[in-house]
Amino acid sequence: MAVAATADDLYAAGPIAAPRRFRMLRNLLRKKLAVLAIAYLLVFYSAGIFAPLVAPHDPNAQELTVDARRQGPSAEHLFGTDALGRDLFSRVIFAARTTILFTLVVIVTGGLVLGLGLGLLAGYRGGWVDTAIMRVGEVLGGVPTLILMLAITASFRGRINDLSFWLEDHTFLGSDAKTLVKFTIIVGATTPFAWIGSSRIVRGQALSIRESSFVTAAEAMGASTWRIVSRHILPGVMPLFIVGLSASMAGIAGSEVALSYLGLGIDPPGASFGNLISDAGFVRTFEQYPHLLLASSLPVILFFYAWNLLGDALVDLFEPRTHTQR
Amino acid sequence: MAPGLFGYTVRRLLWAIPVLFVISVAVFYMLRLAPGDPVDAILQKNYQEEQAAALRKKYGYDQPIHIQYIKYMKNLAQGDLGISTRHRDFTASEVILPKIWVSTRIGFMALVITFAIGIPVGVYAAMARGTFLDPLTISSWLALDAVPAFVLIPVLQWLFGLKLGIVGLGYEGVWSSHMVLPVLILSLPGVAGVARLMRASVVGVLHEDYVRTARAKGLRERTVIITHITRNAMMPMVTVIGLSLPGITAGALFTEQLFGIPGIGQESLAAALAPDFDVILALVLFGSFLFVMANVLIDVLYSLIDPRIRVGAGRGG
Repeated sequence: MAVAATADDLYAAGPIAAPRRFRMLRNLLRKKLAVLAIAYLLVFYSAGIFAPLVAPHDPNAQELTVDARRQGPSAEHLFGTDALGRDLFSRVIFAARTTILFTLVVIVTGGLVLGLGLGLLAGYRGGWVDTAIMRVGEVLGGVPTLILMLAITASFRGRINDLSFWLEDHTFLGSDAKTLVKFTIIVGATTPFAWIGSSRIVRGQALSIRESSFVTAAEAMGASTWRIVSRHILPGVMPLFIVGLSASMAGIAGSEVALSYLGLGIDPPGASFGNLISDAGFVRTFEQYPHLLLASSLPVILFFYAWNLLGDALVDLFEPRTHTQR
Repeated sequence: MAPGLFGYTVRRLLWAIPVLFVISVAVFYMLRLAPGDPVDAILQKNYQEEQAAALRKKYGYDQPIHIQYIKYMKNLAQGDLGISTRHRDFTASEVILPKIWVSTRIGFMALVITFAIGIPVGVYAAMARGTFLDPLTISSWLALDAVPAFVLIPVLQWLFGLKLGIVGLGYEGVWSSHMVLPVLILSLPGVAGVARLMRASVVGVLHEDYVRTARAKGLRERTVIITHITRNAMMPMVTVIGLSLPGITAGALFTEQLFGIPGIGQESLAAALAPDFDVILALVLFGSFLFVMANVLIDVLYSLIDPRIRVGAGRGG
């Protein structure tokens, strides 16, 4: 059971002055583990983004002869082949693409739009708006997330097949329509729970910046609310917001992997680490073909680990109480 | 009892009512409005329309949702959580209670182990601050946190079950040696989180006056660390422990699934897939209730420790 509460550590931190950001970057690069993590993430992201160029084989090309299936690693197939003779290395690269796309979408919807937007609104407006937003967050934080996510995806998947057939016939999407619809469902199931942590961080920051004299001065000069929020409050909020996001990246990516593992996310032939692992992840399969599980899980484990290390290093740089306050 | 504590507790408990009300309404509407219908689930799709209509009438699904909600709440007040559509002839509470009990005992063992390891590890890392041992300690535990249970489990099952033959793999009740692996898999990944919080908390008190005084008095370093630093740093951990408690009753989906443990995590998955409406609703409400109660408990505990919170006079610090 994960007791991750890095967001709450940050919540306690005070406002950060803008020039400190550059010093933070320098300090971050001084941490060896963080540099390793960044290097790995660069490899992972470039492999995923340029998947069609990087992958040596078509990730969906099957070869069903006995010899071609479940091969061990070789020069031709770096990670071997899976139960249908598909090149596992290429499938892993396309799975990385799924992970990248999913985290990006959830970060835009749950993080930037809901997390940052609602956090700024709550922190700057205060009053009943603040109370309402924070209560909703408390309520959503209080329900058992996984079972609700499962219930949402399971109840929508059955009925939404018609929609994907319609999209397949009537739009340019063709066979991608099914994947797109399933992708939308898991994004829809994850987003409602993805904004709570970051909105809390943003609200806390916005609350304290709102009280500073430069905001009062801007208000006195008649600056519009939009201008105050975007020019005066946002820059102070961003550093901690980014730190919070990086600490929650592994969790966001993990929910897609878990849902796909359960057969509720991206299905084959679409490649996701979840369905690659579920194809390989039973003790008898592992006993006979260990490379299937290792090759399909290690890249994503390192991805989680790298984001956790990076998040940890960033939190550490912002550590509020290294020296005595009182 | 401290003055005002009773009133404070009552006020906090009263606040829990609207929160639980909102959760129950939201989840009830979501489940009822989502595509799919309990009657479809009961009849498995091969049915005459009259049969379905009769069942809808019997269970009240033909009525407007707010009427259904009121009826549900009336039944809930009498301890009736509805019927399970997946296990025919069983009520929702008959389905979930035994399974919650299985998961809770396993989860509790795991929680105790997580904190028993995490707290000393956090103190150690904080005391080693500035050396390479601090990031090394935390990041090695973080590595365990990065491995999903459904990857770790087959590997450990193979290693300890098949290759070395040390532990059996089938489910033979909660108090059996077969539970060693599941409990470890549930507890070890959480250590990094606890250790990190404990480390931050220890770092927070390191420079307090009473620590300096204790050292100046010439107390042994061991005593300073244990009684002056660790004890004071434990304060924020009250929240963490409290908030972790409701989670143990939710079960562990992947661990239960892969070890064949008949717990509530496994049942949640099956209920969500079926879908078994009343069981899902019961599980969500039960989980939310425990979470809200844990929050109240923590607030009350804090107000016992720091009475200023109760009267709302300043935030301290």
